[in-house]
Amino acid sequence: MSLAEAATTPAVATDAPAARPSALRELFRFRQLIALLVVRELKVRYKRSVFGLLWTMLNPLLLMVVYAIVFTTIMPAAMHNFSIFLLGGLLPWLFFSTAVLQGLGSVLGNQDLIRKVRLPQAVFPLSVVGSNLVNFALSLIPLFIIMAAVGQPFTAALLFLPVAALVLTVFTSGVTLLLATFTVFFRDVRHLTEVALQMLMYLSPVLYDLRMLGQHREWWFRAFQLFLRLNPLSYLLPLVRDPVYYGRLPPLSVLGFASAGSLAMLAIGLAVFQRLAPRHIHYL
Amino acid sequence: MIRTGEIRIRDAGVCYRLYREKVTTLKEAVVQRFRHLRSAEMFWALRHVDLAIMPGEAIALVGHNGSGKSTLLKTIAGVLQPSEGQVRAEGRISPMIELGAGFDPELSGRDNVYLNGALLGFSHKQMEAKFDRIVAFAELGDFIDMPVKNYSSGMYARLGFAIAQDVEPDLLIVDEVLAVGDERFQEKCRARIRDFRTAGVTFCYVSHSLDAAKALCPRAAVLHHGRLAFDGPIDQAWERYRELERGPTPGPQIAAS
Repeated sequence: MSLAEAATTPAVATDAPAARPSALRELFRFRQLIALLVVRELKVRYKRSVFGLLWTMLNPLLLMVVYAIVFTTIMPAAMHNFSIFLLGGLLPWLFFSTAVLQGLGSVLGNQDLIRKVRLPQAVFPLSVVGSNLVNFALSLIPLFIIMAAVGQPFTAALLFLPVAALVLTVFTSGVTLLLATFTVFFRDVRHLTEVALQMLMYLSPVLYDLRMLGQHREWWFRAFQLFLRLNPLSYLLPLVRDPVYYGRLPPLSVLGFASAGSLAMLAIGLAVFQRLAPRHIHYL
Repeated sequence: MIRTGEIRIRDAGVCYRLYREKVTTLKEAVVQRFRHLRSAEMFWALRHVDLAIMPGEAIALVGHNGSGKSTLLKTIAGVLQPSEGQVRAEGRISPMIELGAGFDPELSGRDNVYLNGALLGFSHKQMEAKFDRIVAFAELGDFIDMPVKNYSSGMYARLGFAIAQDVEPDLLIVDEVLAVGDERFQEKCRARIRDFRTAGVTFCYVSHSLDAAKALCPRAAVLHHGRLAFDGPIDQAWERYRELERGPTPGPQIAAS
């Protein structure tokens, strides 16, 4: 029996046939709440810090300096502008993984509100994704500064980045919604996710590129390759890296797989979340 | 057809699952093969409740602690969904179940007005139109731009009530929130609620005080251990309530499933 099945097995029949079709419409009605929650999150997060939003931009910059030192002096990489290559994978990965880790606790974290006010609970995970999207967008500014500093050419392909961010947001929202509802029923989903994300980082083309992989005949390598082919992030991360590092649009097939996978993920995440949401209150 | 401002409750029940030892880790769940999801003990906080409240009617909900009053209010407000039966409430609800629920202590009163408005489903524009009225009603003055965590509990409740009273409700649900603030502000709140009553807003009120309830509601429903024990004129309801209180109280009953 899978986790999903276990969680959807009704212990008490919930009689709410009327609530379901309007759930999406209600979510839409509360879109301004999502925007406000995003603003709140950013405001609260940076209120007492001197640099405020600058931290968002400083973080990748500092990370970059570390990687630049590691990969240029300590163990030189054979790639031109390897730092840009790395950032092209790391920034979208950090957006995804940070949003998921913060978002999965968002239903639990807002339980005081959920107990008292009637609202579509999906606004909480979605607003976490939203605030991380803002962070991602802001972190592009230092990226561009670094690109200019190391002489990386700016091409028209960079105009594709908003589309890449949109697809990435759709995917991240789906995963976050799914894990947020599971976390209500099983608290250790958080710890599982922490471990899984660490492994996933190496099993996704974050620090490397699919083209860099050699050919091996060993079974484990084939398993790894198969995983990479099925991993949605293999299609999502190039949406950012291709324009940033290679200066070209991602192949249409990659964009197609990424979009389809993301939409499917969001549909699953939303469906499961909306189905389980009425029962959250009993487990909070 | 259900009319705006009408509440219809048909054979409603709310069941909480209780665990002797709460299993919320995956390991334990796996060990028990998810049995815990079913083996929980059932506690019916509310069962077989039938109640019809007409638009513009005012009803007091009376009962001992744990009788299910708050649970009933929460199902009417839509916070809880009934485990069985039906609860329908038509129209915009102003739930004064807890004032200032959803205030973020770090944000200013101003930001919280907009946040609370959005929680109730209002747009920024709509809240802008209400903003000055709300601040005036709350009597907060310059404190509106201070973080809410620096407010006194009275100021906190005042701002909460000020927002809740300005949502043009069809249904007003009040859970003893009027016990907050000083005498003068309480009177102001009661006056506001009387305004709503004359404007034909449906009103549900939980109270332990006969005087307060009688002043606002001609009708009362008595809840006793999750069951509806009486529904009718408030004086008789209060007698019934007193009578039930004198009787033996066995404590909440848990049914094993």
